[in-house]
Amino acid sequence: MSQWLEQVIDNAQDVSDFLSSQRKKSLAALQEQGWPGKRAEQWRFTPLTSVEKRKAIKAKVTDEPAVPQIDKLDTIDLVFADGKLVTDISELSLPKGLKIKSLKKAGDDEQAAIKSIFAKIKPARHTFGLVNDAVAKQGVFIDVAAGAKIKPVVRVLNLSTQTGDAHTRVLVRLGEAAKLTVMEHGEGSADSLTTAFAEYSIADHAHLEHYRFALFTGKAKQIGGSHFKLGEEASLNSTLVGYGSELSRLDIDVWHAGEHANAKMNAIYLLAEGELFDLHTTLEHAVPNGTSEENARGIVGDGARAVFNGRIHIHRDAQKTLAELNNRNLLLSRRSLINTKPELEIYADDVKCAHGATVAEIDDTALYYMLSRGIPRSKALVMLNFGFIQELVTQIPKEAIADWLLPKLSERFSQMEVK
Amino acid sequence: MLKISNLHASVEEKTIIKGLDLEIGPGEVHAIMGPNGAGKSTLGYVLSGRDGYEVSDGTVELNGKDLLDLDVEERAREGLFLAFQYPVEIPGVSNMEFMKESVNAMREQRGEEPLTAAEFLKKAKEACKQVQLPLDFLKRGVNEGFSGGEKKRNEIMQMILLEPSLCILDESDSGLDVDALQVVADGVNSQRNDKRSFIVVTHYQRLLDYIKPDFVHILADGKIVKSGDASLALEVEKNGYAFLGKKYEESEA
Repeated sequence: MSQWLEQVIDNAQDVSDFLSSQRKKSLAALQEQGWPGKRAEQWRFTPLTSVEKRKAIKAKVTDEPAVPQIDKLDTIDLVFADGKLVTDISELSLPKGLKIKSLKKAGDDEQAAIKSIFAKIKPARHTFGLVNDAVAKQGVFIDVAAGAKIKPVVRVLNLSTQTGDAHTRVLVRLGEAAKLTVMEHGEGSADSLTTAFAEYSIADHAHLEHYRFALFTGKAKQIGGSHFKLGEEASLNSTLVGYGSELSRLDIDVWHAGEHANAKMNAIYLLAEGELFDLHTTLEHAVPNGTSEENARGIVGDGARAVFNGRIHIHRDAQKTLAELNNRNLLLSRRSLINTKPELEIYADDVKCAHGATVAEIDDTALYYMLSRGIPRSKALVMLNFGFIQELVTQIPKEAIADWLLPKLSERFSQMEVK
Repeated sequence: MLKISNLHASVEEKTIIKGLDLEIGPGEVHAIMGPNGAGKSTLGYVLSGRDGYEVSDGTVELNGKDLLDLDVEERAREGLFLAFQYPVEIPGVSNMEFMKESVNAMREQRGEEPLTAAEFLKKAKEACKQVQLPLDFLKRGVNEGFSGGEKKRNEIMQMILLEPSLCILDESDSGLDVDALQVVADGVNSQRNDKRSFIVVTHYQRLLDYIKPDFVHILADGKIVKSGDASLALEVEKNGYAFLGKKYEESEA
C-alpha cells in the first residue's frame, strides 16, 4: 500500500454528506483493490512513483488564479482553484433550462438526481476514480431540462497553482433532446495532484458537445476521467487535448446504453521533453445499432512518453454496431516513446469494427525538400508533421475554440526540438 | 555568379566529387553530362546542402557569398534552386501551401511583403497553366500521386514562381515523353534571361536540343574532364563516353 493512499483513506473517514453511502462503498472497493502495483495492466506503462510516497495534503488556496479566456466564445465559468470551487454560482446568470449547483448546496431534488449519477456511470475499476468518490467534496451538478438547448459553453476549470492535492467532481445530466456544450479545462504546473472526474448522463435524443483540455505541465500531476452514458439516439462529440506532465492520465468511458447512439471522439496529445501523457479510452457497446468513431493522434517529443490504450467492447447483444478506432503517432527522436494498444473485444457477430495504430518518425527527405525551397526549418517541421493534428482541430464544431487552440498547439509544437 | 574551386565531397565516407572546378557567369547555361556514377546528382545535392553530403575540401561561392557556410534553406533564399530528379511526395501538405510558404520565404529575404492568399493564387494559376498542369494540382498534396512527368512539370512550376538566380536541373528530362519534354524545356527557356544561370545535368543529349547550352562539360569520376560548346554534346551522342577510356567504353550516351 502506498503512503499517499493510506492517508487518503484516513482523510476519507471525515467526509460526510448526502453521498456518504456511495462514498463508503467506493472506499471499501478501494481498500479491496489496493494500490495498483507494477503488474496492474491499467498502469503497466505509467509509473505511479511520484504519487505513491506523496503526502496526501490538500492544496491551500490563496489567490484566485487567472482564468484563461477564449476569444469570441460565450462561456459560463465554474472555477476550481486548487480544488476549491471559487465561483459563486448564485451570482451567475443562467439561460432558461440550465441549472447549476455546487454539491454542497444541492437541494433534495438535486441530491436525488446526483445520487443517480454519482459513481453510476464511471466504472469502479478506476482506482483514482474511487479515490475521488471517497474524498471529493468539491463538485458541481449541471442539469439541463428536457428539450433545452443551451448556447453558452459551460466551462469547468481546474487550475492548479499550489503544492498539494485537489479532488473535484462534475456531474452532468442532459434531459431528453437537450443540448449542451461542456468544456473541462485543467492547467497548472505546481507540484500538485488533481483528480478530476466527470460523469455525464445523456438522455434519449440529447446531444453533448464535450471538450477536455488537460494542459497540466511540469510537476502538476493529474489523474482524471470523463465518463459518458448515452441514451437512445443520443450523441456525443468529444475533443480531448493532452499535454504531458510528470504524470498525466485520462480515462474515458463511453457507454452506449440506448440504441442508435453516436459517439465521435478526437484526441490530441503533444508532449515535450520529460513529459508523460496516458490516455485510456473504452467504447462500451452494450446495445445494438450504436456507432463510435475515435481518432487519437499525438506527437511525442524527445525524451517524452505517451501511452494510449483504446478499447472497443461490443457486448453479445450489440449487433449492427459500427465502431472505428485509430491511433497515429509521430516520434520526434529516438528517445521518444509510445506504448499504444488498440483492443477489440467483440462478442456480437454482425458488427463492423476497425482499429489501427501507427508510429512514424520525421521524414528527412520531405524535410530536405521543403528546406531546399527556402521554407524555414521550424515552419517546415510544423507543415510536415502538424497536418495530422491540425486535421483534428479543424473538426472541432466551434470555430472560436479551434481558433484559440490551433495557435496554442502549433506554438507548443514549434518549440519542441527534433533530434 | 557561381564559382566552384577544387570541390571534394563524399557520401557515407565514399568520395564522389574529387576536385571539381566550374565557373558560371550570369545568364549562362551550362550542361553537365557524364556516365552513370560520375557524380552528377551528387553535385546538385552538395550545392543545395543536403544532409549527409560532406564537403572535405574546396570552396563554392554564389554571388560572392560562401555557399558552403549556409544551411539548405539559406542557400535557397540566396537564389539557388534544385529541380529534383525524383521530386518528393508530401501527403498532407498541399502544393499550394507549400509553394506559398516558399515564395514568401524568398520575398522575406528580398525585404518584400508576403503575398496574400489571393495574390499568390493568381500567380500560381498562371505558372500552373504555363507548365500545362490542371489547376486542381495546386490543391493536391505536394507531388502526391503525380506521374513522373507531372512531378517534373511541378518542379518547373516552382522554379517559375521562386525566380531563383541559379537553377540546377537534375535530369529533368528523365522519364519524359517528347511532349512533356517540350513543356519542361519551354518552361525553362521562358525563364532564361541575362541574369539567371542554369546548370543542366543530363545523361542524354536529347534535352539539349530543347535547351541550348552555352557550355557543355563532361563529368567523370568526380571531375570535369572535358569542356566545350554545344557541339561537345553531339560528339558524346555520336561516340559515347569511350574517349574517357576503357572503363567507359560500354557506357552508352
